[in-house]
Amino acid sequence: MDDTEGLISPRKSQRAYWIFQLTGWGLYNLSRFFGGVTVMNLPWVHFGLQLLFVDALAFGLSHLLRNYVRRRQWRALPIRKLAWRVVVAALVCGIPLGILTQFTDVALLQDPNEFLEGMSSALRFQLALPVAIGLEIINWAAVFLFWLAIYFTAIAVREHRSAQLKQSELARALQLAELRLLKSQLNPHFLFNALNTVRSLIADNPARAQDAVTRLAKTLRYTLTSPQDELVTLSQELDIVADYLELESMRFEDRLRIELHVPDYAAGVHIPVMLLQTLVENAIKHGIAQLPAGGLLRVSAVVRNVTLTLEVENPRPPARVRTAQEGVGLQNARDRLRLLFGERASLELDLSLPSVATARLRIPVNP
Amino acid sequence: MKAMIIDDEPPARRELRRLLTGFPGVEIVGEAGNVDQAVEMVETLTPELLFLDIHMPGGSGFDVLTRLEDVPQVIFTTAYDEHAVRAFKVDALDYLLKPIEPARLAEALGRVRTSQAARAPRPDAILEQIFVRDGDRCWFVPLREVRLLSSEGNYIRLSWGESHPLLGRALAALEQRLDPNRFFRANRRQIINLEFIESVDLGVNGRLHAQLRGGPEVEISRRQARLFKTKMSI
Repeated sequence: MDDTEGLISPRKSQRAYWIFQLTGWGLYNLSRFFGGVTVMNLPWVHFGLQLLFVDALAFGLSHLLRNYVRRRQWRALPIRKLAWRVVVAALVCGIPLGILTQFTDVALLQDPNEFLEGMSSALRFQLALPVAIGLEIINWAAVFLFWLAIYFTAIAVREHRSAQLKQSELARALQLAELRLLKSQLNPHFLFNALNTVRSLIADNPARAQDAVTRLAKTLRYTLTSPQDELVTLSQELDIVADYLELESMRFEDRLRIELHVPDYAAGVHIPVMLLQTLVENAIKHGIAQLPAGGLLRVSAVVRNVTLTLEVENPRPPARVRTAQEGVGLQNARDRLRLLFGERASLELDLSLPSVATARLRIPVNP
Repeated sequence: MKAMIIDDEPPARRELRRLLTGFPGVEIVGEAGNVDQAVEMVETLTPELLFLDIHMPGGSGFDVLTRLEDVPQVIFTTAYDEHAVRAFKVDALDYLLKPIEPARLAEALGRVRTSQAARAPRPDAILEQIFVRDGDRCWFVPLREVRLLSSEGNYIRLSWGESHPLLGRALAALEQRLDPNRFFRANRRQIINLEFIESVDLGVNGRLHAQLRGGPEVEISRRQARLFKTKMSI
């Protein structure tokens, strides 16, 4: 119907315009035809032709009006400015059509006087030339007023719907952006410490240094490309966690001991990418790294009642003030879970044991 | 120069040790991997220079410094948190980012040497600077810039420029390590820096009032006033 922006395609709206236009004028034309033939007893062939001629003109005029309205951007006008323009436009279209209708009507009658004889005086007055023209003009102006009302209503409805669509589209985009942000980003502290370890290994143990570089590259690649997927299988994530832990154990040496208990049947379960990695990083940062003697980091997985339970367990330092960052990391992970699974997933940090912290993640198993 | 490496990661310690072989003037007398061990070793080995990692198990590098009575020269080493170091009020110290560039290490060592007046800290020696931590902020405070030390229970409130950090020591213990030519016990609770005295007024009962540059006015008790007069030859 109009030049569109956004989500309703111009082609689709163009088609809608023609359907409205043709059915509208077609129905109007038909109703007048049947009215004239049955009520006024007019000769149907002549009357039909006359109607077709005049209505085709009205149809053309309305199309020109539509182009004019579009070019002058009437839909952007405030309602008061629009109102008087609409009235003037309706009159401008009504005048030629009214005059034309009157004269074709009169031409239609073989003998107008004979026709008038049978009419009451009131009707005769109504059919007197100037009055009749006036009435026809008003009639046509009303038709165009109606046409414009429909036209602008349709535009308003479409714009409203398009705005709504945009709104929901925006909300979804926002949610996606939020998800990306919540995923664990590259941890610079880990990166630079790992590079320092590599530098040391180059002299101490060149083969180990080579291995470290490969693992670091894999870890970085996974971190950098992970925003493309939301979910990965547990075994994919574990691959990267293993590389990460290997790098960290080169750094911490005997202070970091690792146990992984992941049964084969759990390996294919889909989990949010980088989530287990975040939990393991936390376990090192707030657990192992804080303890002079280090300790055991344990990762275990169990599937029961179509729920995957993942646990990351680490020794924790004696009652220290929890840093704000710890809370942020966990909260981010929770927000991601909520966005992906709603209420069906959960993440808790179990501190019920005095010297152990357990992060427990529950995720529904995909069918 | 005797130096110590304090870092919880063995590869990081090895790497720094290797880098330091290029500097024959620096002798590594010890390595520590956590706060307790570091404090103990610094106190027994009395190094002149510390390479100190900020992230440590059982506390931070700052915790090491606050627990030391006598703070040697310090070069911080860190993988990432240079902002933690930069947040300091520091003049006499440097920080190195890991992996450490040899050129930066040389630069840092050059700076330390020039500021180091070949001083071997001894238990009875005069303290030049102290490390103070107050809340989130840390300072290396050169004592000659402190105008007033006030006892607050088991703590000492330092008046130093615009800052008034609290030091976790008793005034009596610290007094013995202060330069007697510079610092003077004004009364039971306060020690003043003589260099900061602007004017002295006579008070009642033989007391004196010393006005310090940058405030406040400090009362010198009767007993100390006599000493003060002799010392200042008034």
